[in-house]
Amino acid sequence: MQDLLQFTLTGITIGSIYAIVALGFVTIYSVTKVINLAQGEFVMLGGLTMFSLVSVGVPYWLSFIATILFVTLIGWLMEFLLIRRAKGADAISLIILTIGTSIFIRGISSMVWGKDQHTVAPFTENTPVTIGGASITPQSIWVVLIMLLVVGLMYMFIDKTMLGKAFQASSVNPMAARLMGISPKRMSSFSFVLSAALGAIAGLAIAPIIFPAYDMGAMLGIKGFSAAILGGLGSAPGAVIGGLLIGLFESMGAGYVSSGMKDIITFSIFLLILIIRPNGILGEKTIGKGGL
Amino acid sequence: MKLQGVQQTKWWGVVVFIVAILIFPMIVTQSFFITQATFAGIYAIIAIGLGLLMGYAGQISLGQAAFYGVGAYTTSILTATWGWSPWLSLPIALLVPALLAFFMGYTMSRLSGYYLAMATLALGIIVHGLLVEGKGITMGASGFYGIPQLTLFGMTINQGVPYYFLVWFFVLLVLILSLNIVHSRVGRALRSIHDSEIASSSMGVNTGRYKMQVFILSAVFAGLAGWLFAHMSYSISPSAFTFDASILFLAMVVLGGSGSVWGALIGALLIRMIGITVHTLGEQFTFITSDSEHVIYGLILILVVIFMPRGLFPTVVDWLKNTTIKRVEKKASVAVTPIKRSVSE
Repeated sequence: MQDLLQFTLTGITIGSIYAIVALGFVTIYSVTKVINLAQGEFVMLGGLTMFSLVSVGVPYWLSFIATILFVTLIGWLMEFLLIRRAKGADAISLIILTIGTSIFIRGISSMVWGKDQHTVAPFTENTPVTIGGASITPQSIWVVLIMLLVVGLMYMFIDKTMLGKAFQASSVNPMAARLMGISPKRMSSFSFVLSAALGAIAGLAIAPIIFPAYDMGAMLGIKGFSAAILGGLGSAPGAVIGGLLIGLFESMGAGYVSSGMKDIITFSIFLLILIIRPNGILGEKTIGKGGL
Repeated sequence: MKLQGVQQTKWWGVVVFIVAILIFPMIVTQSFFITQATFAGIYAIIAIGLGLLMGYAGQISLGQAAFYGVGAYTTSILTATWGWSPWLSLPIALLVPALLAFFMGYTMSRLSGYYLAMATLALGIIVHGLLVEGKGITMGASGFYGIPQLTLFGMTINQGVPYYFLVWFFVLLVLILSLNIVHSRVGRALRSIHDSEIASSSMGVNTGRYKMQVFILSAVFAGLAGWLFAHMSYSISPSAFTFDASILFLAMVVLGGSGSVWGALIGALLIRMIGITVHTLGEQFTFITSDSEHVIYGLILILVVIFMPRGLFPTVVDWLKNTTIKRVEKKASVAVTPIKRSVSE
């Protein structure tokens, strides 16, 4: 019982990160129909930028802001320089384009930060707290709180602001949105900015837990993508559910079987769920968009 | 009269290809380049299969390395652990990936688009994980060793020129088979699926069956490449069959041009050449490291998608055709409507 609680807490922590990454996928997909496989690199950049800033003595609050701004800039550049130029390319080519970008960013990062893992000190005093026999570090609590905050802010933004409404409109019906004077280019650009910001937040939150390195983006991106698919691509609540589930499968797999088996178990369950629910748990109405 | 849209296999291309294979080891004698050319052949087999899947059936596989790895490990276990002859294990090394693809395709038949792409990615991760974790059978992450060499008529096919010829002989077989498929009824059906699945389905094309067949075929090719890879070296390790490898195969197809058998072959050669160039430069200049290789791969993928969305080979061929058509027009000085159609060889 104590084990179960422990694994659940670990699962929710890592699942929160997957949920934020998955939200990044959904944000870009819902507006541009692009699957951005460089999403994980935003997380990596977030973690490593945070490391660089903190290690030269920049206060945490300033590092947060600077990290988010920097990664956001990269996201904007990616849309402006690459995605926009490739309009009209088919879905497979666009995926390849984002894969190319991710390999490129990873290569540059390994030159800048080297191949070692880096250590970032936790946000606050990190003595584990014991809850019902299971221990949880304050940093994990921070991660979960940040995820909740991000989900809350996203909801407020999408539902309560004019820009959010425009965003929603261009994802539901791009043509009608355009006729209403919403610029699809601006929305596409904005989706990448927002998604990069999400990646940066995930990266800086997880940095003290997983020792960021240049190659951490690939697996985080894959897990985030699975989470988005599991929840039903295009659905924001689905992304959060998917992320938490992937996190839980992983921690249960690592805890009850072995840490080497965790990915095998996670992706096997993932495939099983897809066989039962081919459109994801919450389901996407327009499956197979993009002519794949 | 020649039917519009029906294309014959242009055999002179195959002849040029055979001559190039024969001449290469005469010009280039360094064993390093022969080995690299052998690897390029192994990759070309996978790329051709993946190219058929992507360009003709319009499906993306992010886990092609799984079939490659399954083929390699099947033959390694059969020959090294069970003492089979490598030639006897060849059909099994093709059959097991085929069965895996069939099982995968069958259970995943309700999936499409990105869901299917993610499913193949998941398969790749699961297979790689099993190769690492199944220590009792696969010897785990440190690698499987003791794989016997191939023999033919009592002679060992050594690594180097003999193995080079063996690999490229198989590339030739795969190439001819693929060109024939592309120019057959099946090829036309596949192309119609790529253009519009709904339209071809309503014209009576059994889209599901064709997609399944080409998926299995791509797995068989990958299995063949795995068999060749395993017997080339004394040992193999799971690190050759990762997600990165799957991405590399994808890069070959995109670079050369999906929807083109020749394109996939050329893409495989080019990607290998880029790797060798960076490697050679890295030996002379210390600032060029293996990281640069990744940066260059990434950059090439980006540039190809943006400037040549159809890939190198079809773009170049179209350009050549257009210039010849213009020249012919000038000569005849008769208005001829240039026939623009996608190159599909």
